[in-house]
Amino acid sequence: MSAQRSVLDVSELPKVVFGHRSLLWWGTVGFMVIEGFTVLLMVASYFYLRLNEYEWPPGRTPDPDLLIPTLNTVLLLAVIVPMRMVDKAAKRFDRAGVVRGLLIATAMTVVVAVLRWWELLALNVRWDAHAYASAAWGVVVLHATLVLVDVFETGTLAALFLSGKAKRKHFPDASDAADYQYFLSLAWVPLYFIVYWGPRLL
Amino acid sequence: MARTEEHVAAGLLDAGEREEMERTWRGQPGFWGWLTATDHKSVAKRYILTTFLFFLLGGLEALTLRLQLARPENGLLDPDQYNQFFTMHGTTMMFLFGVPVQLAMAIYLVPLMVGTRNISFPRLNAFGYWVYLIGGLLLYSGFALNTGPDAGWFNYVPLSGPQYSPGKRIDVWAQTVTFTEIAALVAAVELIVTILKQRAPGMSLNRLPLYVWSILVTCFVILFAMPSVALASLMLAFDRLVGTHFFNPAEGGDPLLWQHLFWFFGHPEVYIMFIPATGFVSEIIPVFARRKMFGHTALVLALVATGFMSFGLWVHHMFTTGIPQLGQSFFTAASLMIAIPNGVQVFCWIATLWAGRPRLDTPLLFVLGFIVLFTLGGITGVMVASVPFDQQAHDTHFIVAHLHYVQIGAFVFPLFGAFYYWFPKITGRMLSEALGKWNFWLFFTGVNVTFFPLHFLGLMGMTRRVYTYLPETGWGPLNLVATVGAFMIAASILVFLVNVFRSLRGGAPAGDDPWGAHTLEWGTSSPPPSYNFLHIPVVQGLYALWERTADRPVVAGMGTRRREILLTTVMDAEPDARYAHPGPSIAPLLAALAVGVTFIGGIFTPWAFVVGPLLLFPALLVWMATQDEQPGPPTPAEEPA
Repeated sequence: MSAQRSVLDVSELPKVVFGHRSLLWWGTVGFMVIEGFTVLLMVASYFYLRLNEYEWPPGRTPDPDLLIPTLNTVLLLAVIVPMRMVDKAAKRFDRAGVVRGLLIATAMTVVVAVLRWWELLALNVRWDAHAYASAAWGVVVLHATLVLVDVFETGTLAALFLSGKAKRKHFPDASDAADYQYFLSLAWVPLYFIVYWGPRLL
Repeated sequence: MARTEEHVAAGLLDAGEREEMERTWRGQPGFWGWLTATDHKSVAKRYILTTFLFFLLGGLEALTLRLQLARPENGLLDPDQYNQFFTMHGTTMMFLFGVPVQLAMAIYLVPLMVGTRNISFPRLNAFGYWVYLIGGLLLYSGFALNTGPDAGWFNYVPLSGPQYSPGKRIDVWAQTVTFTEIAALVAAVELIVTILKQRAPGMSLNRLPLYVWSILVTCFVILFAMPSVALASLMLAFDRLVGTHFFNPAEGGDPLLWQHLFWFFGHPEVYIMFIPATGFVSEIIPVFARRKMFGHTALVLALVATGFMSFGLWVHHMFTTGIPQLGQSFFTAASLMIAIPNGVQVFCWIATLWAGRPRLDTPLLFVLGFIVLFTLGGITGVMVASVPFDQQAHDTHFIVAHLHYVQIGAFVFPLFGAFYYWFPKITGRMLSEALGKWNFWLFFTGVNVTFFPLHFLGLMGMTRRVYTYLPETGWGPLNLVATVGAFMIAASILVFLVNVFRSLRGGAPAGDDPWGAHTLEWGTSSPPPSYNFLHIPVVQGLYALWERTADRPVVAGMGTRRREILLTTVMDAEPDARYAHPGPSIAPLLAALAVGVTFIGGIFTPWAFVVGPLLLFPALLVWMATQDEQPGPPTPAEEPA
């Protein structure tokens, strides 16, 4: 080939970008959509099954307890604070700030995951009692699997940054983890009201 | 952003740098390389091949069903075997062939068509294939062990519930579905991100090829449809395994919840197979009509509208369940309305052919066959959208006829057109035109001979899923005709296989662009190199290769020593970043095996849902630990921060 060719030189473009400029951010959003919609369908099923009963909860099933679920909801919302710190520190490439925020967040989400078991007990009914019980357990367990994924994600990121092996390109990952945390924490709020307050109101 | 344009001598990379590109992008050698492959083309080829093998198995099951029905009171299959065969046929064709083959084709084609070097998340892509394969093997292992599912491909409760289906058959079905949903969802995310962020510079959204548009819409449909069936199959698994009562009416559950969740997925699923097929048609027609597409914008809008409307139709599968009249009216209207965007597409295609100089090669023949069969299937679709008619035709062979006209006509025919069209790109060899025409005419005749009589059988009262019938019904002759037609279809598939094997052994070399096409994949070699394009092209128009200037502008300044892809902006495809791409890894296979242990073990014990994730943990650690392995030495920018 001997023809002249025009070139578009991209050699000066950045190699590390944040937010909607990065690939992983879009992937994270994709999974948020999938997970969020799955939870939404679970909630729709909960209300669909409500139509089959005169009382909710049916029969002599007691209402769910509120203490542990309320505490845990507050704690889950509070995880947003350290993850917000992570987000800001990551965008400054501030390694110490990222590590600090991730460690606090991981510790908090581990507590949330453990308390989730008592949240299930607070439903005051076993999953196999009737459809109400299955639906309430379904909503809480579904969100609990997302909490476990979150523990894994923040935990391994914390380990990566703590070990000193994190590179510049990992800072956007920390920022994306913060976005995922906002989704996870905020998605729980309506679920908490539906499952723990709903039976008192429906 | 530095963006300098200058003219330099051709051959932007010297020979040494080209070798470096080869080294950087090639996979590992041998069997290990096969297990660790993450190149979208390698994964897609095995994906397409696997789906096709399942297509052949599903076809053999269909032939067996037709043989059983060929004459009254036939004894080839007993009722239990017949139940397993029709369930396996439907499940295979919908879950192991229909959706996966469309995604597999997209995994191959989309990165090439948008001008990038690999799919956005190559390891997730490999993981998706392995999970799909495990699902398929699970289903067929169950079938081989007389544990094949037997409650139909939509698996209605209460028949499939713990009370009426003890044993493990239904669990095999439910977990197979879970595997295929995971595979489809990850593929959808990867393809959306590839399309939005990795388009070649200049390929703004208004220059996106119609096939890529169709995949973008399809993947969004997948994001919202697949969670529904994944959730439903998990609920069913838990009803059967740990005694939940989602679908048990005795304890406040509801069998209709299953139908809602299933069809909220199941109807969009039809469009998940059909929308990419219309994308094939929209790529093939302008190339073989030798003119630009008439009504490009209308076609894009029709695709998007079809995607949205596909979620408003699911209740038309449930007209006989006693839903409120307002619901019936709404879903009838929605079912009729979707004919509008599809009509727009058909008119645009006809107008393009009308105004062009059509070249009747095999890909176009399949497209023309599609238009005829899809129209026939669409007409019966409009008929069954009407509640009074549906209540008569429901669960009869009229529905079997309708759905096969739509599925084969509107999905399999364009797919075969696509096989003939892109086979030269994938293999570097042309398929025989003579055998292609035999393939087409046998297939087209066979479909009509098989399925047209089923309309009459349905109207005569023959219900679907009956393993035999009495001679006095008078259904024998039409059933025999249908069986003869099924063998014609089988013969046409045989011709296709012969064509493929002959071509692979000694077909005519294809060259880069045997059809004179306009999309970017035809601008690289056949088959494409591991890095797809030596230089990422700069796109100058909607018809990238037809509208490029003589100087063929390209991107320069990409790294050659690490796997680097160019990220561009979502709307305008302006260059935005250079992104390091992960290389081959065994981790996707390990992660898929852990998911396999979780869900296959879950058929037998709930503890699998504890053990499986524990196995997943080390697999994901391997995944992350090998993220940075690059064949070349690290570039300075990747030094620790």
